Amino acid sequence: MRTVFIERGFEDWRRQSRQLLQAGIAPHELTWTNGQAGSDLFAAAAGDDGGTPGPPRPTRVPRELPALLECASRFRAGDRWALLYRVLWRVAHGDRSAMLAGDRDGGELQRRIRQVRREAHHMEAFVRFRERPQTEGAPRFVAWHEPAYDVLELVTEHFLARLGRVGWLIATPDAAAQSNGVEARLLHPCPPELAAMARSTADDTDELWRAYYSSTFNPARVNAGLARQHMPARFWKHLPEGVLIARLAANAQLSRPHRSQAAAVAEKVGQQVQVCTEQARPKRPLPSSLETCRNCALWRDATCAVPGEGPKTAGLMLVGEQPGDQEDLAGRPFIGPAGRLLDRQLADADLRRAEVYVTNAVKHFKWQAGGGLPPLRRHRTPDAEEIAACRPWLEQELAQVRPRVVVALGRTALAALLQASDPTRLRLADFLGRPRWHNGRWVVAAPHPAAILRSEGTLRERLIGELQTALRQAATLQAD
Amino acid sequence: MDLTDKLIVLADAAKYDVSCASSGAPLRSSKGREGLGASNGAGICHSFTPDGRCVSLLKVLLTNFCLYDCQYCVNRRSSDVPRARFTPDEVVRLTLDFYRRNLVSGLFLSSGIIRSADYTMEQLVGVARLLRKTHAFRGYIHLKTIPDAAPELIAEAGLYADRLSVNIELPTESGLERLAPEKNGQSIRRAMGRIRLGVEESGDEPRAPRFAPAGQSTQMIVGADPTDDHTILDTAQRLYGAYSLRRVYYSAFSPIPQSPGSVPRQAPPLLREHRLYQADFLMRGYGFGAAELLPAPGNLPLDIDPKLAWALNHREQFPVDLNRAEAMLIARVPGIGVRNAKRLVQLRRERRIRYEDLVRLRCPMDKLRAFVVVQDYRPPHGDLETGLLRRALADSPKTQLALW
Repeated sequence: MRTVFIERGFEDWRRQSRQLLQAGIAPHELTWTNGQAGSDLFAAAAGDDGGTPGPPRPTRVPRELPALLECASRFRAGDRWALLYRVLWRVAHGDRSAMLAGDRDGGELQRRIRQVRREAHHMEAFVRFRERPQTEGAPRFVAWHEPAYDVLELVTEHFLARLGRVGWLIATPDAAAQSNGVEARLLHPCPPELAAMARSTADDTDELWRAYYSSTFNPARVNAGLARQHMPARFWKHLPEGVLIARLAANAQLSRPHRSQAAAVAEKVGQQVQVCTEQARPKRPLPSSLETCRNCALWRDATCAVPGEGPKTAGLMLVGEQPGDQEDLAGRPFIGPAGRLLDRQLADADLRRAEVYVTNAVKHFKWQAGGGLPPLRRHRTPDAEEIAACRPWLEQELAQVRPRVVVALGRTALAALLQASDPTRLRLADFLGRPRWHNGRWVVAAPHPAAILRSEGTLRERLIGELQTALRQAATLQAD
Repeated sequence: MDLTDKLIVLADAAKYDVSCASSGAPLRSSKGREGLGASNGAGICHSFTPDGRCVSLLKVLLTNFCLYDCQYCVNRRSSDVPRARFTPDEVVRLTLDFYRRNLVSGLFLSSGIIRSADYTMEQLVGVARLLRKTHAFRGYIHLKTIPDAAPELIAEAGLYADRLSVNIELPTESGLERLAPEKNGQSIRRAMGRIRLGVEESGDEPRAPRFAPAGQSTQMIVGADPTDDHTILDTAQRLYGAYSLRRVYYSAFSPIPQSPGSVPRQAPPLLREHRLYQADFLMRGYGFGAAELLPAPGNLPLDIDPKLAWALNHREQFPVDLNRAEAMLIARVPGIGVRNAKRLVQLRRERRIRYEDLVRLRCPMDKLRAFVVVQDYRPPHGDLETGLLRRALADSPKTQLALW
């Protein structure tokens, strides 16, 4: 058995353990202790019986292991170095489960890492700075904190980022960190005069904070156990609100009936706001009648109704199926991916979006919510009743714009324009390339841009061709 | 009224908004720079009040004077509560003072509606502008968005705020009409739609100014009207799908001083709120659909958690062989979370999973035992009748009391 002395923390352990590993000395042959060689009476006797290390053999360990070991070394426990060496030994000999939470050593390693990270997080959360008078000079803000593990070094960057050029000091029982507003210095051990300063500084804002804390607490929901679980009682004595926790909980448990209001608020004189109902009502622009349409139930899940858009004198009107996800949010037709595809196809057919009237057969977005990560918003095809319920709005647009040519983008639009009673029996293919004179205007059928987006390969090319043909045909008919 | 009195009134008035998250903000640092504050995506709870809630932000109303008469709200115009109003500078001072002392990670500012929606929103945006522009504050800002406010104001709010939120308030449109006559479901949805578009536009364009980088959230009040959990979860799922919300918060209705007759005198059980949060977490983190968790109208069971309830209704999918099943299915086993599912998959790449491994991962074995198969274990009562199993696994009334 031989004793290894760790003098300067993790780096020291790392250096020595590398040599031991290379010398092939197994964990059970070692005792680890903090301090300098020679401070242990038995150390000499235990001696270097491992002999001189053999020729160095390269040790290969996973890249993430050193960082894990470093973190676990901050856990205060008698066997901290021994556990690290056991893990290192096993992993270096090919047993990677020694790093994993399911393993006995790995489980303990991971548990310590979690504890250390949690303690660092606690420190970032529960350190409380108090302000010193400007006349006393730097540092302006000081804090006293008692972490359970060696985590001070882990949190200094956090406070440098938070406090900018303000100088600060965090003192703990065994170390201190001091910032001059640019960088932080670690002092080990903590100079007693800094510890005294950090512990004795008081500050008026504590009182304001206690007022806030009491008020933001909801006594009707008192659950002291839960609070303690999240914020261990060992931190309370250094928190300004610490003195309140037990008192507020006890008062809340005693009072009947349970009230949500803070006691300090209940004591004050109340006041109703004197205003008549009419004046209180917010002035909203009068909703368009389309906005308030309740002819079918689609409005319920939609953000808003999407009216058509374009010049009221356009000779060409494009009718789509219904607004999609983006259109539903913005309240404008064909602005999403399908709209962009349509714009490109219009340009290719020498048409300008600004000169055509663009609308949909159904004005509210029909969709279905479903599980999934992230939760789904699935498009659904409107049924015959919904198309019929929305037809008056389409008729109104047709009557206003009076286009000579209407392009029906997809089967739903075609069914709406031709007043088909059962859209599912309509075959778009039967109408492609065959404009039909209907109710005093040309109706040209085309595939919907969204169908093109969903398709691939030769099918996609065919659909694009069909849309392009339809648009060119529509342009010609409009010019006639 | 001095500052302390205002703080007492306006913190009390704001606490019914349960969100206090400070997570999701981009990386910002004041290291060596003028100004104050940092954010890094992870939130920090700087304290916990004795109700077990996290205190992460200074959560106050700018004022609790309010024109509206929402029946469930303590600040409604007909309520006899003390009223106060902060000046923008007072809110700024409190935020910075608390921030420097590491008491909070930022500000959550909301307000009663005064004069008009636009005026109120301007006041809120004004405070955020002061913090960001005048004081170079880089901490977290959550702004409540007034749904009827002009789109330009919402756009400016998104420039300063990490998170915006519009409260849906009640799960149904009819509930809103009855209890919050001045509010309007349509304008709430439109505001949420604008925020989602703003977030996505700035996300698509790397050089565009940031817009609410921590996204948006909302809050629903539970138990102020008779709506059941089925409808609540369905509404939540639709909101997640349509507006990419980061969170839906559920707030159990608290009877307030001089409650009007239109709302219940009794608070709903807090356990109901807890079950809704569990179900919500299963929707956000596990891909469960609302209809899977609660296929029929009614409420979630109080005696067992929603994942266990789902598993008991789907015995045919169990027991799951942890050495073979996909990670997504392992995470659906009661008592195994996403994190442990990941750990198990990692471990089984090295060797077969054994019973002892589950114990070491601190899985609740009593709950788990009937649902899993591992190398050296399979459930002896694989066919234990579901009713009996449920009775064995239900939270006893004693543990429920301890929880709440």
